[in-house]
Amino acid sequence: MSRELGDGHRRFLQTLMAVGVTDEQEARALYQHCCDTHTMQCIPDKLDEFIEAINSRLQPMFMQIRKGMSEENGRQYYALVNMAETDITRMTSDYADNELELFRKTLDLIVSSENGKASSTDILNSTDTMTSKKLKKSETEHLLTRLVQDNWLCERRGEYTLSTRCIIEMEPYIRTMYQEQVKVCHICHNIAFQCQICENPSCGIKIHNPCVARYFKGRVEPRCPACDDFWPHEIPEVRGLRSQSKR
Amino acid sequence: MTQRKRLSNVQSSSQSKRQSNSFMTQEEDEDATFTQPSTSQVQRGLEKLTAAQVDQKTAEVVQYILVKDQKKIPVRRADLVKHVIKDYRTVYPEIIKRAMLTFEQVFGLKLVEIDSKNHMYVLVNNLDASTARPSPVERPSNPKMGLLFVILSVIFMKGGVVRENLMWNTLKKLRVDPGQRHEEFGDVRKVITDEFVRQRYLEYVRVPHTEPVEYEFRWGQRSDMEVSKAQILEFMGQLLEQDPQSWTQQYREAHSTASSSQASSSNHR
Amino acid sequence: MRKARAGGDDEAVRQNGSSSRRRTDQHPGDGEDHDSSSGGVQDDDDDNDLGLRREIRSKYRDLINSVQQNREDMLSPSNNKLTEVLEEANKLFKDVRQAREAALDAQLLVVATDLGKEKASQLFSEGSAFDPSAFAEHLLSFMGLNRLEDEDDEPPNGCASDGYLPKDAWHRLARRAECCFRTAPSFHYMMGSFYTEPPPPKQRIERQRKAPSKEAKRIMPTQLKKMEESHQEATEKEVERILGYLKSYYQDDPSPISYYEFVIDPNSFSRTVENIFHTSFLIRDGLARLKLDSDKLPCIEPVEEEEVEAAGSFSRKQCIVSISPKIWRELIDVFEIKETIIQPPETQSE
Repeated sequence: MSRELGDGHRRFLQTLMAVGVTDEQEARALYQHCCDTHTMQCIPDKLDEFIEAINSRLQPMFMQIRKGMSEENGRQYYALVNMAETDITRMTSDYADNELELFRKTLDLIVSSENGKASSTDILNSTDTMTSKKLKKSETEHLLTRLVQDNWLCERRGEYTLSTRCIIEMEPYIRTMYQEQVKVCHICHNIAFQCQICENPSCGIKIHNPCVARYFKGRVEPRCPACDDFWPHEIPEVRGLRSQSKR
Repeated sequence: MTQRKRLSNVQSSSQSKRQSNSFMTQEEDEDATFTQPSTSQVQRGLEKLTAAQVDQKTAEVVQYILVKDQKKIPVRRADLVKHVIKDYRTVYPEIIKRAMLTFEQVFGLKLVEIDSKNHMYVLVNNLDASTARPSPVERPSNPKMGLLFVILSVIFMKGGVVRENLMWNTLKKLRVDPGQRHEEFGDVRKVITDEFVRQRYLEYVRVPHTEPVEYEFRWGQRSDMEVSKAQILEFMGQLLEQDPQSWTQQYREAHSTASSSQASSSNHR
Repeated sequence: MRKARAGGDDEAVRQNGSSSRRRTDQHPGDGEDHDSSSGGVQDDDDDNDLGLRREIRSKYRDLINSVQQNREDMLSPSNNKLTEVLEEANKLFKDVRQAREAALDAQLLVVATDLGKEKASQLFSEGSAFDPSAFAEHLLSFMGLNRLEDEDDEPPNGCASDGYLPKDAWHRLARRAECCFRTAPSFHYMMGSFYTEPPPPKQRIERQRKAPSKEAKRIMPTQLKKMEESHQEATEKEVERILGYLKSYYQDDPSPISYYEFVIDPNSFSRTVENIFHTSFLIRDGLARLKLDSDKLPCIEPVEEEEVEAAGSFSRKQCIVSISPKIWRELIDVFEIKETIIQPPETQSE
């Protein structure tokens, strides 16, 4: 099952360790770069196979380069993720225990919200119910900045959403932990946070904004793909088509 | 509310575990009791284990070292044995050998022992940092590496050891004052004399017979493995518009076999 | 740890000197300061001698200090400062009569020798010398220092060279210096860094359904108001019901009841949260009081009817109770709670 890797594979993996997440276009360029640097053959369409080779060797360590879609722009991303929770993985020191607790509270807020967002006020208030060492307001703000810098959260106008990297890594966790609250996109079947919701109370399906854009593109009267009710939301423009033609 | 306190003790057990890992604990005795098993012992030990068991333990060791490397603190063998190896001590040499192989084959990294007395390991990169063409994916830069570069350069150029006064004075010229909070580095004195020292990038030791007490800086064991003197000299030449060879002694040191086998990477490209 | 550092610690050194002097000299009237000898009543000889010794020591300390502070200057091949210092010391030594001053002379010599050794090694080393100041200057340029053009401008904070560094200065240097390091990239992750625990009770799931249509939005406010009213009523009823449990429990056994045993429903976390919520009204309204028992554990007891009136004047303290499913479970274990005191209301029982 496991394959021999070359320095090109290793450089690709190291770059992902350093950046955490990269979009498909960058990943292709990086693939090319790694092959060129280490005089390996680069077959443009075989990026996923190249990555598969790395994954086969990462598997024993419960690590993986995983692909996922950005809820923001609908493009594909690759992230290096951890897949297991063990005594060893919990020794990670990037965040303190109380910081992790607040992150999970933020996750709770985002998952239970309708639009996949949590306001900074709500997050700050949620420190009241912390069971570990309570974070002060300034500490919370500093933590949120770090979480954005480290690419776990995104922030826009005081509202926080889960980053693409975070969704890619945490999706299995979120699916099991929030089974009843979490919904998947009716179009791409990935878990959906930032999305549009069918307003028919007996339907209520969710569709990612970029999936809405693609699905309803060019339709005069958009109707819900599940219940055929009128789709009353604004249909966003299709974005990020650049690398889509290949697949 | 003692009840709460009692409970929080229960809860914090995981927290204290984490702390004892990240800081070097006084487990010298632990290490002392660990004796390197002999080849025949290892052989016998391996016979009792399945291949899958050994593979799994190896993967755990790799995971553990990756986690510890997040903060660039060297991994002590004593901690490794205590937290991961556990009942597998008899086959320890075999497992560490396999872990080294995994780092090389999968990650392009090298697991090296920096302190053969205290048995500490660090990870260094096997791949060249500089490539013919710049990488299309920009890695985030760590400003502390800039600070560390300055310090290591001054030590190297000054012959391997530098009094702290000279270091602070040089840094002050760069707007880094050990007595003041720096907007990028925070408590600079702590970063330099504590963090860099624990990471083994620097040694910070008291100069004997000085009154008032003075300290001096040297390269730490990690720097010997990780940092290329030839590259420093190269950059130095560019900065000061001078031929690197004009620093005769430093040039000789940078290109001597001893250091080039470890960290110099400038020549073969 | 370190007693004196570069810059400004001159004072401290001297003060140290003067305090030790007081101890060793044991001379009356020597307590004031350096000029006190002029008004002394003791024999002049001794006094003059002391004054001179003090002066010598002070000068030695200045010399030692200046050597230590200006190390770099002294080392520069372009001057003779080290020799000057040694000549000065020779002059001082002529008047040295006692051990304390001689010790200082020896200390200065140690410092100077050390410096001389370094200076010598510099002179004899091959190739160009390395000048840290020049290095720093070039680094500043590399890091993009904005040098102030205008001569009249006051240098900020009296910096040696004027100007300010751009925000990314150290990033810029780090990026260039990267090729000197063979640093391993590190692996960071979020999933797996904490214990997997069930999320809090999902209250919002029902509401999610009701993405309000335009019509629904319009009728919402009145509905909400109605809900709020009925909500309040329900709360009051529930509070009274709970007071009933507290009183009857207290009648059976008139000693304070453990707060946690009272509010916790071992079968339901959400019921526990509700109980805590409703019980807080009993406290607020002065119908029950909370206190700590001999083990410092919170307990609750009802307040007698007569007392309730009087209690109105008492100052009340607030306290926030937090509970998570994890704590809830731990509390059940610790207090060995087998059944709930506050029975769930019949209407909702499944």
